[in-house]
Amino acid sequence: MKQITREFFAELEKQPALPGRQTGVLCIDLADGERTEHWYLDIRRGAIHVSHKGLTPDCVMSTDLATFEAIVDGRMNAMAAVLRGAIQIEGRFSLLIALQPFMAGPREALKRPTAGYARRRS
Amino acid sequence: MSAEVKILDGNTFVVSDDRGDIEASLTDPTGLFSFDTRFLSKWILTIDGQRLNPLSVDDLQYFETRFFLVPGTGTVYIDAKLSVIRQRAVGDGFHEELTVFNHDDKPVDLEVRIEAACDFADLFEVKDALKKQGEYSTRVEGERLVIGYRRETYVRETWVSATEACAIDDHGMTFAVHVEPHGQWTTDLHVAIGRGIQGAGGRPKYERHAKKARPIMETSLEKWLDDAPGLECDWDPLKRTYHRSLVDLAALRFSPVSLPGHYLPAAGLPWFMTMFGRDSILTSLQALPFASELARTTLVALGLWQGSRSDDFRDEDPGRILHELRFGEMTAFEERPHSPYYGSVDATPLYLVLLDEYERWTGDTKLVRALEPQARAALAWIDDYADLQGNGYIAYQRRNEETGLENQCWKDSWDSISYRDGRLPGFPRATCELQGYAYDAKVRGARLARDVWRDPALADRLEKEAADLKRRFNRDFWVEDGGYFAIALDADGSKVDSLASNNGHLLWSGIVDKSKARSVASHLMSAAMFTGWGVRTLADGQGRYNPIGYHVGTIWPFDNSFIAWGLRRYGFKDEAARIAAGILDAAEFFDGRLPEAFGGYPRELTKYPVQYPTSCSPQAWSTGAPLLLLRTMLGLEPTGDHLIVDPALPNGIGRLELLDIPGRWGRVDAFGRGRVDVAKRPRRAAQLGVIKPEKKKRGGR
Repeated sequence: MKQITREFFAELEKQPALPGRQTGVLCIDLADGERTEHWYLDIRRGAIHVSHKGLTPDCVMSTDLATFEAIVDGRMNAMAAVLRGAIQIEGRFSLLIALQPFMAGPREALKRPTAGYARRRS
Repeated sequence: MSAEVKILDGNTFVVSDDRGDIEASLTDPTGLFSFDTRFLSKWILTIDGQRLNPLSVDDLQYFETRFFLVPGTGTVYIDAKLSVIRQRAVGDGFHEELTVFNHDDKPVDLEVRIEAACDFADLFEVKDALKKQGEYSTRVEGERLVIGYRRETYVRETWVSATEACAIDDHGMTFAVHVEPHGQWTTDLHVAIGRGIQGAGGRPKYERHAKKARPIMETSLEKWLDDAPGLECDWDPLKRTYHRSLVDLAALRFSPVSLPGHYLPAAGLPWFMTMFGRDSILTSLQALPFASELARTTLVALGLWQGSRSDDFRDEDPGRILHELRFGEMTAFEERPHSPYYGSVDATPLYLVLLDEYERWTGDTKLVRALEPQARAALAWIDDYADLQGNGYIAYQRRNEETGLENQCWKDSWDSISYRDGRLPGFPRATCELQGYAYDAKVRGARLARDVWRDPALADRLEKEAADLKRRFNRDFWVEDGGYFAIALDADGSKVDSLASNNGHLLWSGIVDKSKARSVASHLMSAAMFTGWGVRTLADGQGRYNPIGYHVGTIWPFDNSFIAWGLRRYGFKDEAARIAAGILDAAEFFDGRLPEAFGGYPRELTKYPVQYPTSCSPQAWSTGAPLLLLRTMLGLEPTGDHLIVDPALPNGIGRLELLDIPGRWGRVDAFGRGRVDVAKRPRRAAQLGVIKPEKKKRGGR
């Protein structure tokens, strides 16, 4: 388990409410060689609580650790990975889509305007 | 080449010939498609090795059709002892009930065969004729034929099975059939999306394995029609057009993977059966008085996908509302940016317009509160990311130079934005209607901030910005020597000075100064723009004007519905009624189904609207146009908890009743009687707005 994945889950709890303020349990299964780690996101009206407890999931997302890291790092597009079959989804798809904004790589990327395209008028 | 027969449900659709057969090549758009992927490219029925001949095709519903066939392929009538019915319904794949009738008084033994194959083409590949990179496979697995395709982890499979005993091989199924004298034999064939997108299953559209394929209740057409307001009218064509619009809108309903069981309008059948920001929003707006659920799902789904990062490949920025979402192989491998693609510059302000209009109709403040973060992000995008030139105006310039869209407004063809003399401006381009949408978004955002989000400071700021935008816009876009608004500002901030239908959208947005509205309305109704059928996209006399030019002279029904709404907003009721009369007359020539666009020839010249060749019908916002025109003609306007009715109807319509209009008031009825003289000699006639030929007037500016 690399730093970036741990950071991703640690940061999640501090995020503002997920789009759509959904409630549900998203289970993220990450395969790392022989081992599979289960992360449970207990989402209540958009607020996320992260645990390893075996809750009953509404949505299970399974992938390997390398793919997951590429996604949370912002190097890979999550939706394209789902279409490609690099991520398997079972259950409520909307929970994963709601999580997309937080899979944009380093936190500051969220706020970064694109150079040359967003000069605010004075 | 046989005629095409299309049936669909959501983004699953079948295009076949009039025998029910499918024989697709890579560039040929026939087959079974689902989630932008072809799941069946060959489906051929033979009896004793012979193809069948169509007697008739019976389009039962948009999701169901029936083919009547006889053996033999001659052109002369065959006194057939056999006939065949294929009844096909689309659902998660399709379901076909195949029946062979023996009309003879002797029994027959037949070999019935279905050939099946698939190329798993992406819709984008079908359009652009591109080569596949993965590997194909076929195998017989128990009682089904599995046709597959694999490229790395991307796997798609089609499963073909039958209820009657058959011999299955890699290329199809063979039935040894014995039919008694005057007897019949039936089998159900099932073509399933065996492996599609993981998790994108949702619910099947019809009960799986049911003997009869019937749509499940929530999506059924009967319920949809029952829930919509009833329409009574002395002028029969309007009743037909209204019914056609409702049925087509039902066919265009699309359940996003993120919200199974909920429906939003997809853009068009068959190639645009997906979520488009602009099309889904504008169609939802048109349909608000009739089916507000479409707006609700559109707002939630687009909100869920709102841009969250700056991604040049997808032209994405935080707060931006998507342009188009696709599910095919090229999107999966990031050879196309549609996962989703954000290259639309009007969808974001229009999202705010829809959110406010939805609340005004439904009173659903709960949703407006739930979507507050999305609405704020959209408002921020307008100021922080859309103002490319730093001059206070929304503009567009793609960052994905390879596969992104060059024109990110609704007139998205290469030559749609031009100067009066025909020259094309460079980029960025700040088209005028975008400023109107931004103005309206701020005004409406202010109302929501004050009334729902309880943030008066934000409301004050937005109102101030809107007023400032309006003042600057009326100064910077006004073409003084023409008396209308320029279609755009170019990269230098100079006016792109052609006269175009975008002026009507400006009236709709409310950004036009009262003192300028009369001049704008006169232009829209002038001979250079209004043909008698509708308002041209570009005025006659402009450099690039061409009556059959896609965005430079044709008439777009959706465009006209918003222009009519704009005219009413500024009090030009009679003008709005004239446009409604023209478009509704045109609809009658298309059996109530308005095309995307039709020719901009003068009405007295052609007597009928000249069809523009188009690949997509029905198209969502054309389907929505008669609905918005009804709202406009009846002058329906929610005010507080009431619905204001202020009709201004074309004379020939007679009495019009729209019954049980749903909204925050419960359900109310609206009545009106035609009083507006739209023609020179008004009469209750087959056509509402026909102009006597001897009154022919030509010219213009």
